[in-house]
Amino acid sequence: MKNFKTLGILLAFATVVGCSDLEEVPVGRLSPDGLVQSPADVQTLINGAIGNMATEAYWGRKLSLPIMLRSDMVSIGDVGTPGRRQDVDRFSMSDDNGMVTALWPRAYQVIAATNEAIAAAATLTGFPPEQIDPVTAQAHFFRAYTYYHLVRLFGEIPYIDAPVVNVEEASQIAKSSVDAVYNNIIADLELAKSQLPDTQTISALPSRATAAAFLASVYLTRGEYQLAYDEAKFVIDNEGTFNLGLAVDFQDLFDHAAQTSTNEFLLSLDFNGFSDGDTGRDYTPALTGIRANERGNIGGGWSVAVPTINVYNSWDGRDYRKAVSLDTTGIFDGVEEPFTAFPDFDSRNIQSAYIAKYTRAIGPTGTGNGRASSLNYGLMRYAEVLLIAAEALNELSPGSGEAAGYVNRVRARARGGNGSAFPADVAGGMSQDDFRDMVLEERKWELAFEFKRWYDIKRRQLGPEVFGPGSLEPQPNFDPSRDYLFPLPFDELDRNPNLAPNNPGY
Amino acid sequence: MLRTRICKWIRALTFGVFILTGTLTYGQQKSITGTVVASTDGIGIPGVNVVEKGTTNGVTTDFDGNYVITVSSQDATLVFSYIGFVSQEQNVSGSTAINISLDEDVSALDEVVVVGYGTAKKSDITGSVSSVKSEELAAFPVLSAEQALQGRAAGVAVQSNNGGEPGAPIAISIRGNTSIGSSSAALVVVDGFVGGALPQPADIESIEILKDASATAIYGSRGANGVIMVTTKKGTKGRMVVEINSTYSSQAVTERIDLLNANQFASYRQAINPSYEQGPASTDWQDLIYRTGNISNHQLSFSGGSDKINYYVSGNYFKQNGVVINSAFERFSFLSNIEVQATDKLKLGFNAFANRGNKDGIQSQAGSGGSGEGDVISTAYRFAPDTPIQDENGVNTTNPVGDQFDNPFAIATESVDETTTDDYRANFYADYEIIKGLSFKTTFGFSTENRTRGRFQPSTLIGQASIQGGIASVESVKGTNILSENYLTYTTEIGKGNLTALAGYSYQKDRTERFSAASQGFLSNSLSYFALDAGSDIQTPSSSLTEREIVSLFGRLNYEYDDRYLLTFTARRDGASNFAKNNKYAFFPSGAIGWRISNEEFLKDNKTLSNLKLRASYGVTGNPSLTPYQSLANFQPIYSNVGDQQVGAVVPDLLENPDLKWESSYQTNIGLDFGLFDNRISATLDYYTIDTKDLILRNTGLIEYAGLLSDPFQNVGEINNTGFEVTLSTKNVTTENFSWTTDLNWSTNKVEVVKLIDGEDIFLDSSPGSFLQDETHILREGEPVGVFWGYEYRGVNQGTPEPGTAGYDETGAGDELFTDLNDDGVITGEDRKIIGDPNPDWIAGLNNNFRYKNFDMNVFFQASVGGDIYSYTFLELASGESNATPEVLNAWTPSNTNTNVPSAAVREKRITNRFVYDGSYVRLKNLSLGYNLPTDIVNKMGMQGVRLSLSGQNLLTFTDFPGTDPEAQYQATANSQDSQDSNVNRGFDYGSYPNIRSYTLSINLKF
Repeated sequence: MKNFKTLGILLAFATVVGCSDLEEVPVGRLSPDGLVQSPADVQTLINGAIGNMATEAYWGRKLSLPIMLRSDMVSIGDVGTPGRRQDVDRFSMSDDNGMVTALWPRAYQVIAATNEAIAAAATLTGFPPEQIDPVTAQAHFFRAYTYYHLVRLFGEIPYIDAPVVNVEEASQIAKSSVDAVYNNIIADLELAKSQLPDTQTISALPSRATAAAFLASVYLTRGEYQLAYDEAKFVIDNEGTFNLGLAVDFQDLFDHAAQTSTNEFLLSLDFNGFSDGDTGRDYTPALTGIRANERGNIGGGWSVAVPTINVYNSWDGRDYRKAVSLDTTGIFDGVEEPFTAFPDFDSRNIQSAYIAKYTRAIGPTGTGNGRASSLNYGLMRYAEVLLIAAEALNELSPGSGEAAGYVNRVRARARGGNGSAFPADVAGGMSQDDFRDMVLEERKWELAFEFKRWYDIKRRQLGPEVFGPGSLEPQPNFDPSRDYLFPLPFDELDRNPNLAPNNPGY
Repeated sequence: MLRTRICKWIRALTFGVFILTGTLTYGQQKSITGTVVASTDGIGIPGVNVVEKGTTNGVTTDFDGNYVITVSSQDATLVFSYIGFVSQEQNVSGSTAINISLDEDVSALDEVVVVGYGTAKKSDITGSVSSVKSEELAAFPVLSAEQALQGRAAGVAVQSNNGGEPGAPIAISIRGNTSIGSSSAALVVVDGFVGGALPQPADIESIEILKDASATAIYGSRGANGVIMVTTKKGTKGRMVVEINSTYSSQAVTERIDLLNANQFASYRQAINPSYEQGPASTDWQDLIYRTGNISNHQLSFSGGSDKINYYVSGNYFKQNGVVINSAFERFSFLSNIEVQATDKLKLGFNAFANRGNKDGIQSQAGSGGSGEGDVISTAYRFAPDTPIQDENGVNTTNPVGDQFDNPFAIATESVDETTTDDYRANFYADYEIIKGLSFKTTFGFSTENRTRGRFQPSTLIGQASIQGGIASVESVKGTNILSENYLTYTTEIGKGNLTALAGYSYQKDRTERFSAASQGFLSNSLSYFALDAGSDIQTPSSSLTEREIVSLFGRLNYEYDDRYLLTFTARRDGASNFAKNNKYAFFPSGAIGWRISNEEFLKDNKTLSNLKLRASYGVTGNPSLTPYQSLANFQPIYSNVGDQQVGAVVPDLLENPDLKWESSYQTNIGLDFGLFDNRISATLDYYTIDTKDLILRNTGLIEYAGLLSDPFQNVGEINNTGFEVTLSTKNVTTENFSWTTDLNWSTNKVEVVKLIDGEDIFLDSSPGSFLQDETHILREGEPVGVFWGYEYRGVNQGTPEPGTAGYDETGAGDELFTDLNDDGVITGEDRKIIGDPNPDWIAGLNNNFRYKNFDMNVFFQASVGGDIYSYTFLELASGESNATPEVLNAWTPSNTNTNVPSAAVREKRITNRFVYDGSYVRLKNLSLGYNLPTDIVNKMGMQGVRLSLSGQNLLTFTDFPGTDPEAQYQATANSQDSQDSNVNRGFDYGSYPNIRSYTLSINLKF
């Protein structure tokens, strides 16, 4: 009897613990179900899209570097830098280029976050449209903005405008035509333009003017000059309402401390010297910096993306923007040295003026070499809107004083920087062709190294000229039948054979 | 502080011991001496229990079989007992000397081995089980029992993830790595506690390694990687035995890398960059960072017992000062095992274990190696030798060439990296005999592991921390584990057969909490990481919680018929919270047969063949491959900055996969055990093949335009491990004064990737981030796991035309040339191929023990043959951005063209076969000489045994590998559940902690 009592006690003990339904109840993880309950939650997803852009795999390096290198304004400094970068610069890339295979998924991750935001906003109940719509409009804007890059880089692409639920189905879709992608971009931007507020307190978020400015840019790219002009004009005519203007000092636009006090940015991607790993971290300061340069005490740069010496030589020395955009000296062993001596202090430097916009006044940095700077990148400046208006108007009615006036506003600001007489106002009586060339040149200097030049070369099909003999950056490999487009990543074509064929030549 | 406390503690205990022994030796009544020998060979048997019958008064024999016991009366009876021998009783009847000859217990000739939820006689085992004895584990001082297992058992590979670094994690893989994307770490079971931390080696009685499915299926979904069954020491009946073990080792680095001196370096730099100015110093960085290290290890244990209770209590202190300046590891641990026979039928037991480890680390094995990311060892190779530690202003120097990073001396002395680990385990059990043959056992255990890692880089480190004004971070992980197990065991005889049946139920829950915080920008470097709030730039904190529950039913049936035929069935059904919704339960069966041929009539009387047994088993086991929440959909919070303010932000991360399941291993094992000449030669041969299916891999086949942050997990892959194992033990000489025994284990394992997603190669990258390479090794169907991937180097461009040679035009005279594998005229990524295989052809251990009178000697070799090493170290040293090996003195120049070394220049760090080396090695792991003081002297000192030994570890290594250690590993973090690193990142070397040679003095006292 006593035995059974002992056994009973033991059995009771044994069964104290041990019952479970085995269901997982994760604490501290975000389940997509029921996550979005308010417009503020939708904003959280849009912030996710913005965070996804400000990563190494996108604006931090993998998108920004190729579109700089692809142009005639930026080439390779350090020849020991990985081949994937040199291949982008030299038009020898293949469909497994490591820059492309990194930026492609990240672009779609930005888009996926906007798609989630738009889908989640549609399920919200109990909020008036005026609370929901301006937030949702941001998602439409960023989706359009991201596709705008993709369609210019790749041409025909898969177009996704809703969260992917059925993977099977999504894996079989075909590419959308360039026109179809642009139509969707325009529709998103139109919606954004109608629902975004006139101004935002910060330029990281798009306003009505931002949407209009990008519509102008899109139409300009498409060669629809009337529409481009109309949108740019809409922004210019309402510059007071939109609180827009040119910064007085061109340098302020690239000075982390001064740039937020200007009202020139219609859209910026913000960095604040802080990063979580590669998220929130830009590498452009490191990539464009001079190796072993002691200026700024950031440990020098990596001398990867450097203009050829022709850029320095062909840029008029009186142009204040040249002084802002280029560094011609560095400090080594405590002594300021000219760029001809750069290689003496690190064999991976070259004898050329280096890009200064991302190294000179970038504020506190999260890590060495200027990585994770405090600089905000202007993705659309008011100066560009003025130049779009000028370019488009010249196509519609050549020789107008209005068009010249837009350019002159930009030039006047440039002159104001150093009090020089250069660049002078636009000469009267220019032919349509001359004016067009003049505006493109103006964009080249005004927007130098701001990720615009390659797209200008592409939309105006300038390749044979700007990469030909005697150009800023002769590139004998350049093939117009191939090189205006990047290849889609080869592995994406493996995943969905319906995306084949790849772009011509790859 | 801590050290002082420990020292005090040890002193107090030691004092206590002397008091106690004094008391025990006081009041002698009658002293009896004698020798206990084996009847077969007349050789003394050490460790025989000699107990005065009816009392707790007892002693054990010394190494030569001698004993001295004091008995209470003239007609006392002595009981002599020893495992494997028939016990004898002898009445004292007035004599003062009693010599005893014990007969071997034929029925109990076998060792008893520990298997899951029970023990079994070795002769009854049908599966594949290896045993490692305590004297092998304690042959020389090591930080952890994992290290002591290296080379000790066939099919068991032990690999530190960073050479000889004190406290570096160690991976044990049994029969190869059975997974790709999940852990291949063996399951550790300590005294029945599943998932326990290994106790320190001196507390371990034995380790059994369960290898085949028949042996491991009892652990079901966690059995696929093999099981390490650890049994800690227990007290035995008899008077208290006190043992003190102290060892002291002196340690030094065995190999250095030969590098350019300051003058050579300056001319080399000038060949690359004519304007390079030679620095003011001549510094041998390796000299600066290495020192003579040491280990001191002290162990004190008390054990004993009576009819009703037995106990074993121990304390241990271990301190290692690493061979790299400022690296150290310190640990103290306690173990207590107490068992009480409460009633005739009820046995109660309690095991407790506590351990604290303090790792005072240095930065080693940098992940990037680029700007500001240098580690101590790789920078000692890379850093310019013409540069002093500090410049004329007292500021730490950074490398004058290549990326900017601090010098190794500054990194080693100024940065802080400390890890404190606390382990506690308590396990209670009750064993109740319900009726004869049927017993019920219930256990309830609890363990916790707390780990805190703090790091600080002061602003005096220029490469990185000075820019941020000092960087500090703290990470804390707290893991708890609760286990409740209950099972019935029934044993009965059925005719000529014996049946043992086991059935049980188990519940386990583990929980891991983690948080980390970091801060930058400190006013003072004296704050270290203990004032994160004082930083001006607070970093994003993070925290997480994971929980897992497992409920299981398990059972086993053993049937043995007529000592000839053996049958085992084992099964376990696991249900686990981390299993996906549609696959919550898993069933793992196995079966095995054994045939003891030597007990058949036709062999029974064979004098030569003393044992012959054939075994075969088949079964399926699981890999604990699913991590909690892995099958659920997820949104991921990310850092986002809008308007220069951090804002809440999430992005889509992972789709749900409700069908995700564990990885399953289907294993076949065929084994043969045989013994010759009364088992003076005994051998075990095993052949196995393991198909692991449903491998969980990230499906990189999911379209990227779906826009998810992470690729989804799917059960798609398959790999196979096939191998052959030999264990051979021989007693070469056994005479009274001289004996010599040899143990050899040798094993092969061939691992092959059988199936990947759509047959697509998986490219992997383990290179340091600053190398900017994407692909360094590959998984490909039909190939071994983790083969190296790169270009074929074919020498130097001589500058003379080689028409039609690919890549030729792109290079100049003196540049590297690569083979154009696809003959398309250009060198592209398409021209890469498999350039090396890190998997060894075979591994082996050879142990020889010699004894001459009171002297003994141990010679232990360990070998790994046929694996390749890829050296990132040498690749970097040849890339023109760092110091270099003297190889560059023979670099191509227009006047030195007959060379394989390209001209001095900055070069891309391409992965080529130029830096693939044969990593085979044979190592004299241990050589020791011991001396046991003669019994009469020892007895006069009031002790039972005194042993002194002198030994050397890693005295010799035979290898062609030119780096510092062929056991190098890089980016191979071990034992991490969600890390595939240790499975696939094999054979890489980058700034590995060098291997260490030790000289050790040990003293062992027994009271």
